[in-house]
Amino acid sequence: MPSTTVIILDEYPPPTPELLDALRLMDAELVPRTLGELLRGPLEVLPVADVLLAPAEADGESIRSAVRRLRRWAGAPIVVVWTVTEFAALQHHVRLGHDYLVPPFLPALVGARLHSCSERAGLGRTLREADARAELMGYEKELEIGREIQAGFLPESLPVPTGWEIDVRFRPARQVAGDFYDVFEMSRGRRLAVVVADVCDKGVGAALFMALIRSLLRHTAENSGLQHLMAAGRTGGSRRTPVVGATPLLNAVTATNGYLTRNHLRQGYFATLFFGVLDPLTGSLVYINGGHNPPLLLSGSGDVPVPLDVTGPAVGVLPDCVYTLGYAQLNPGDTLFVFTDGVPEARCSDGTFLGDERMLELLGGPPASGKDVVDRIDLAVREHTGSAEQHDDVTMLALHRPRAARGPHADRMAAA
Amino acid sequence: MPLSVTLSIEGDTTVIELEGELDAKTAPDFHQTIEKAAGHGTSTVEIRMAGVGYMASAGLRSLVFAQQKVADHVTIKVVGAIEPVSRTIRTAGLDRSIQLSDD
Repeated sequence: MPSTTVIILDEYPPPTPELLDALRLMDAELVPRTLGELLRGPLEVLPVADVLLAPAEADGESIRSAVRRLRRWAGAPIVVVWTVTEFAALQHHVRLGHDYLVPPFLPALVGARLHSCSERAGLGRTLREADARAELMGYEKELEIGREIQAGFLPESLPVPTGWEIDVRFRPARQVAGDFYDVFEMSRGRRLAVVVADVCDKGVGAALFMALIRSLLRHTAENSGLQHLMAAGRTGGSRRTPVVGATPLLNAVTATNGYLTRNHLRQGYFATLFFGVLDPLTGSLVYINGGHNPPLLLSGSGDVPVPLDVTGPAVGVLPDCVYTLGYAQLNPGDTLFVFTDGVPEARCSDGTFLGDERMLELLGGPPASGKDVVDRIDLAVREHTGSAEQHDDVTMLALHRPRAARGPHADRMAAA
Repeated sequence: MPLSVTLSIEGDTTVIELEGELDAKTAPDFHQTIEKAAGHGTSTVEIRMAGVGYMASAGLRSLVFAQQKVADHVTIKVVGAIEPVSRTIRTAGLDRSIQLSDD
């Protein structure tokens, strides 16, 4: 590839034979262009040139405009104006900042001048790229700050009740994530809230809504007490006695849905979420699944995993919708595995998904621990994705009740 | 994989035909078409999705977005979605506001 690209401006007079010979002898690509093409032609066909060679008779202002246009496109060439007799016109160009060539047009002299111009043009392009990179680094720094702030919306440490194990894996696909998880105490420490959620779409928008939805859920759950914000939504458990923790759970999800649909419906952001409330003493779980991939209840005795199906729509989509409560029981040896769609929808480079079936295969057999489950699935996701780009956030949470757990209630449940 | 989006009007129905994958990268094209479709003012917007092999949550957001863009009396139908795609729509509960049909 020639080291120098020269645009020969197609203006009268054309380069003298000596000048043309000198140009041909140097290692240069010569590209003839008219001023009209440079000023008004499609940008895509304009060459990335080091030098724009023009006769002194050409209009200096028009050349300047052409150079400005080239600069925005791919970097500015150095203008070199030549003449044999028109020194007054040449002087005008030099005042505009253009370089010049005058006879004799000996190959070594012309070559040396154009190579030095080529280096200056290259330096200009490098500076331009450096500017662009600096701007990009500015954005990246902002995004990094966003990532750090978002990390503050995830629990710093997990309050793990005696006799339980909680393991979490959280791998965002980008710097900021739409997925989140949360674990916190409710009802004065008598209940444990476990949340895994996936805000639709990706990037900064999803991350902002993640912060909002997490805050609304946690704040309402922690502060709603026993008072119903809304009386509906108990159709699923009409014969059950009210469960401690069920009210803050219903209030949290219903109020968050209400807030989002009242204030943010137009933006179209919503979250699918699983919100479970555990009684650590008995292992009973009351939950709402708002349009989320059903978490799997893995039996310690090796029974087929039980999906905890949806009990209402995604949060933030439908105003005034009803969420019902679901109930489950975690016995010693059992594990509740909650995850986001980044797990079954992990893709390898040819586009194949990990898939629900493969997940169920991997989860066959009684889990030794929650960590074992998370590790097994995470390894499968990584192996499946391989060198392909990670498309979606991957979040997993395993709530495990070890067999060895000691305590009056644990013993009673194990016996029953 | 890219998404091809075509827009046409058949009587009182605006038809959006999608082919490819509906995810965070391709959803913006679909959003633009939805905005155009909303301007047509037909009583039904039919989204033909038989050619959509995969829909991520960004695609679900597009459907919610569509719902917000059209007038209240306009019906949005999703037609011909393959099982994994229609399951994604049903799991999120969007089938409560959007009609899902096979053809």
